Amino acid sequence: MNKINFKLDGIDVEASSDETILSVARRVGLYIPTMCYLKKTTPSASCRLCVVEVEGVDGMILSCQAKPTQDISVTTNSEALIKERTNIMKLYSVNHPLECGVCDKSGECDLQNKTAEFGIDQQSFSAKDQYREVKEWGLLGYNPSLCIMCEKCTHVCNEIIGDDAIEIEYGGYSSTITPKGSDTLDCTFCGECIAVCPVGALTSSDFHYRANSWELTKVPSTCPHCSAGCALEYEVKNSHGGEKIYRVVNDYEHTTLCGAGRFGFDYIADGSKDEMKLQSAVDAIKGAKAIRFSSQISNEEALMLQKIKEQQGLKLFNEDARVYSKFTTPFSSLATREDVKSSDAILILGSRISSDNPAIRYAITEASRHRGASVVNLHPIEDALMQNVITQFVKYEAGSEEGVMALLVQRLVCDVDDATKRYLDSLDDGYLSAESNFGEDELDEIAAMLSRKESRVIILGADLLSHPRAENIAVLASLLQRYAGFKVLVVASQINTVGVSLICDLDLDDKSIDGTVGYGMPAEFTISYDDSADLQVAPLSQQEGTVVTLDHQLLPLNVAVEFNGYVLNDIANILGIGKRDTVDFTSELPQSAGFKSTAFDLLENFYQHDGLDTRGYFIDQTESGANSTLEDIEDLAEFNGTVIYRCDEVLQFNALTAKCAALGADSALVGSAQFAVAARVSDGDLITITSAGTDRVREFKLDNTLKGTIALEPMVDREPLSLLGRYRYEKVTITKGSCDE
Amino acid sequence: MSLEEFKNRDISQSNYYKVDIDEYPTTNSAKFFQVVRRTFKGEMFVGLWVVLREMFKFNIHTLQYPKEKLPITPRYRAIHEMQRLFESGTDRCIGCGLCEKICISDCIRIDTRYDESSRKEVSEYTINLGRCIFCGYCAEVCPELAIVHGGRYENVSEQREHFTLYEDMLTPIDSAINGTQKEYPGFGAITPNESVKKTPLAY
Ligand code: SF4
Ligand code: SF4
Ligand code: SF4
Ligand code: SF4
Ligand code: SF4
Ligand code: FES
Repeated sequence: MNKINFKLDGIDVEASSDETILSVARRVGLYIPTMCYLKKTTPSASCRLCVVEVEGVDGMILSCQAKPTQDISVTTNSEALIKERTNIMKLYSVNHPLECGVCDKSGECDLQNKTAEFGIDQQSFSAKDQYREVKEWGLLGYNPSLCIMCEKCTHVCNEIIGDDAIEIEYGGYSSTITPKGSDTLDCTFCGECIAVCPVGALTSSDFHYRANSWELTKVPSTCPHCSAGCALEYEVKNSHGGEKIYRVVNDYEHTTLCGAGRFGFDYIADGSKDEMKLQSAVDAIKGAKAIRFSSQISNEEALMLQKIKEQQGLKLFNEDARVYSKFTTPFSSLATREDVKSSDAILILGSRISSDNPAIRYAITEASRHRGASVVNLHPIEDALMQNVITQFVKYEAGSEEGVMALLVQRLVCDVDDATKRYLDSLDDGYLSAESNFGEDELDEIAAMLSRKESRVIILGADLLSHPRAENIAVLASLLQRYAGFKVLVVASQINTVGVSLICDLDLDDKSIDGTVGYGMPAEFTISYDDSADLQVAPLSQQEGTVVTLDHQLLPLNVAVEFNGYVLNDIANILGIGKRDTVDFTSELPQSAGFKSTAFDLLENFYQHDGLDTRGYFIDQTESGANSTLEDIEDLAEFNGTVIYRCDEVLQFNALTAKCAALGADSALVGSAQFAVAARVSDGDLITITSAGTDRVREFKLDNTLKGTIALEPMVDREPLSLLGRYRYEKVTITKGSCDE
Repeated sequence: MSLEEFKNRDISQSNYYKVDIDEYPTTNSAKFFQVVRRTFKGEMFVGLWVVLREMFKFNIHTLQYPKEKLPITPRYRAIHEMQRLFESGTDRCIGCGLCEKICISDCIRIDTRYDESSRKEVSEYTINLGRCIFCGYCAEVCPELAIVHGGRYENVSEQREHFTLYEDMLTPIDSAINGTQKEYPGFGAITPNESVKKTPLAY
């Protein structure tokens, strides 16, 4: 890439071709004030505070969007510029309510800071004020009187999140932000617009007027809800109700949170200590044949469980991590979300990504908006939330993922070795195509699109991991990695699925086994963060520890609010394998699996000003030497009749998010009009769903944005054991009423 | 002596004199005789006689606390008071939390909420007087002249933790409306001679 040389305030600087004058100035440490600039979006160029002068050019130019040209000479500070900027600041203050004393943003408000910085102590402009109605949009509140029309909110919503739910209603002095095409806001409530708003215009309804920024203590940590492990900060305060999390914020210049991370924190437990219970837990482990545990645990806990396994000679069950581990064996290395962001062609297979993993969805949105990436979604159910970024939707039949993958591989790979060639030639593509409903034309379209693209990513979702033929699907997918230049991202389901799969030596869960102890999972003796468990332990947000995200990054967790009960280390100590603190195990995580010997206290957890991610460290992905063999494609399963897809609502991931009041978990079965007709149910009906021997009563809700004959059933409220090892699609019978007494 | 004279007095020339102190006895017999002399001198009765004489003269200087109390200076910093706005009687405190932040002994706790009329309302406010050092910082930082120090200095309690609640500190509404609420002239108060306007809320 050719470099551009130019002068900034007399200093010689060098810029790459995609840098703006502002980004060069920030890089070399020159200050240009801005009000509407957000590094992660395209410039909205609305504040005009970033003006600079270029020698020989009339007028002022906006440094946030102008790119430098060879040999120009730029002035960032002159009398005229200061006057211009001061006037802009005065204009911002015209009729701006004098309510810093109560405003949620006070103390961290850009307008407040810049007004002080420019010393605006008198006003020379005026305008007739007008009535501006305060809006309440669910989890968000909007006060148009405070809004400075910087457009950051609309830019993140469109370019990063992809909801594109708010827009500017232009009207000169009376411009406002409004929900797009509706009176109230109907979005996925990520709350990112609240985060980027430089003033107190967009606020969190739950937090509104509850505390001020200077009263809150920040606890940097990692979101425990899904495998993305986004960076967040809990803001806590100790007041009349005891210590509480008041809100969650993020370093919005560099990170993005979904609503579960931002609003899902009110599951915090106090805990209590009862020696008897602790001892009974120890006894249960001593007498147990197996421990069944969830992946919502830290690496340190996983290591303790592994040590307990070795000491007590019992089995360790964690189907989620075991399946993930097997599935990922054929791949030489796995991609990260950064790879997704910088790709220009993305295939998504077997995932409803908008609810499975919002962070990946945001990465896809960014690739689409900023790099013009083509996005192909292959799935049996169309996702209305993704329609803004999807360039091609391929609908295949539920259950036919193996066939779909085989067809993709057959078409997209080239220069394969002989054995693979013979295998691919022998595939019965006519049968596969007919049964999976994945047509020749669609394949052609994908191939044509890919021929123009360089960095390709395929995202493999939970449908594939739970598929009975998961292993062969993975082997097939590894051919795309080897012979078609694809990077592969596997959507791990929970926060520490990856970590557990690296640390623990897992056994196949034999559900019928007697004498099990559960750790975050139901069993005969259950230890979990739930207060109804036989022994309650701290949830992840109340423990120190580390987790490994789907990006294979090890990240630290900190204690948001103190937990007064026990942790696994207390049990380990009685068994004689514990340490003083849980985090003393951090430096002992197995280096053979790619961990480093770094101690917990040496792990950083922030982004530098230039966006460099210093959080934790990246796990060395050990090249697995496993020689996987391709198996013949099995006959594709048919899913006729009433079919449901296990899929939580957006922002729901687990029992903890289900507890959060702000996230309002709904237990209804959601289906399209077509489904309602086929299953003979209508909106609001109480129904009983029966599959494989289990019954559950739910309400049926009609969703007109859904299409097709498959309904979506939440899983957060389902008995985890009944889901073990089950494919995500299920044939069910639905009867009206709750007739199971 | 006036304050002026007091400040300017020349201590080197005033009528200070040195007290005569006898030599301390050194020998054992001298020490013995000193003890005997002091024991039988009856000085105690001299003191008792003075008290008795003054009692009969009814010339008593002792303050009959708690029946009597000394007036305290206007800038004395005793238990806090929460002021109201004139006329409307609305609470002055806007719940900004600056007092909580500045409090050097971390004894103020404030909780606020979004109330039914879309305003910020103080839902709970306590000061732990067992910790308060009556420094006056809270009163000084308050942008609304809401929290001030009052004259109530009696805060004995059976335990260390002794809290005062917002409601107890708040000026009674009628004294705000009829104008008998007093402005505090101490630390953090309005500049003297500046007129306090009635609140525009009462239009
Ligand atoms: S938006 Fe900023 S300047 Fe405006 S009232 Fe709030 S804190 Fe003050
Ligand atoms: S609501 Fe906030 S982010 Fe959006 S335009 Fe107004 S000031 Fe900017
Ligand atoms: S739930 Fe997942 S996507 Fe949402 S903030 Fe947490 S880690 Fe990020
Ligand atoms: S007087 Fe001082 S110690 Fe007492 S509450 Fe006020 S700031 Fe705190
Ligand atoms: S500083 Fe004054 S206005 Fe602010 S919370 Fe304290 S008493 Fe209320
Ligand atoms: S930062 Fe350039 S116009 Fe706002």
